[in-house]
Amino acid sequence: MPYREKIAWLSLVAMAVTFGPYFAVAAAGPFQHEALPNLGQLGLFAAAAIAQMLVLGAGHLYLRRMSPEDAHTPPDERDRAIMHRSISSAYYVLIAGMIVVGCIMPFSSSGWAIIDAALVTIVAAEVVHYSVVVFSYRRQA
Amino acid sequence: MIEGSLSNRIRALRFHNGEMSQAELGDRIGVTRQTIAAIEAGKYSPSLEAAFRIAHVFDVPLVEVFRWETRP
Repeated sequence: MPYREKIAWLSLVAMAVTFGPYFAVAAAGPFQHEALPNLGQLGLFAAAAIAQMLVLGAGHLYLRRMSPEDAHTPPDERDRAIMHRSISSAYYVLIAGMIVVGCIMPFSSSGWAIIDAALVTIVAAEVVHYSVVVFSYRRQA
Repeated sequence: MIEGSLSNRIRALRFHNGEMSQAELGDRIGVTRQTIAAIEAGKYSPSLEAAFRIAHVFDVPLVEVFRWETRP
């Protein structure tokens, strides 16, 4: 499996185990009725972000140790083509989400509902980005 | 549009060049072993520059490495 595909899998797993629970708890709504800045929700977000950094950091260290040569190999033309395709796909998701968050939601929502919608958009764009990377490498394997 | 597919003889050329490994060929043209495997399997079409580099490594013309097969 190419090193960059492993990194993409790692990123998908890191998002699933950190922002999956975050959005589940946020949707369940234990902090929904607290006044801004809503420290409970903020703490939950901070925990998810720190957990994601730890999972990614540990994963990167492990993968680098397992295949140090691959980790230092610069991307070749196929890697760059896959990267370009995946970023293009994620861009459309990000733009669509940001139009909803920035242009539609202010008329109907406020506070953490908008922040969470923005986070969903960013995470969805990242999921699309890494999914396209994994799919592209699998298809050409 | 003309229908067809790109085929290649990289596996045979590697064999005739002292069973050169995919990693060695990759190193010589500046791509990873996995990319060579994908090219060999016909799942990735290399850039023109990479194709010429491969032909240069084996010291053969480009058409000896890659061939376009038109579908009727």
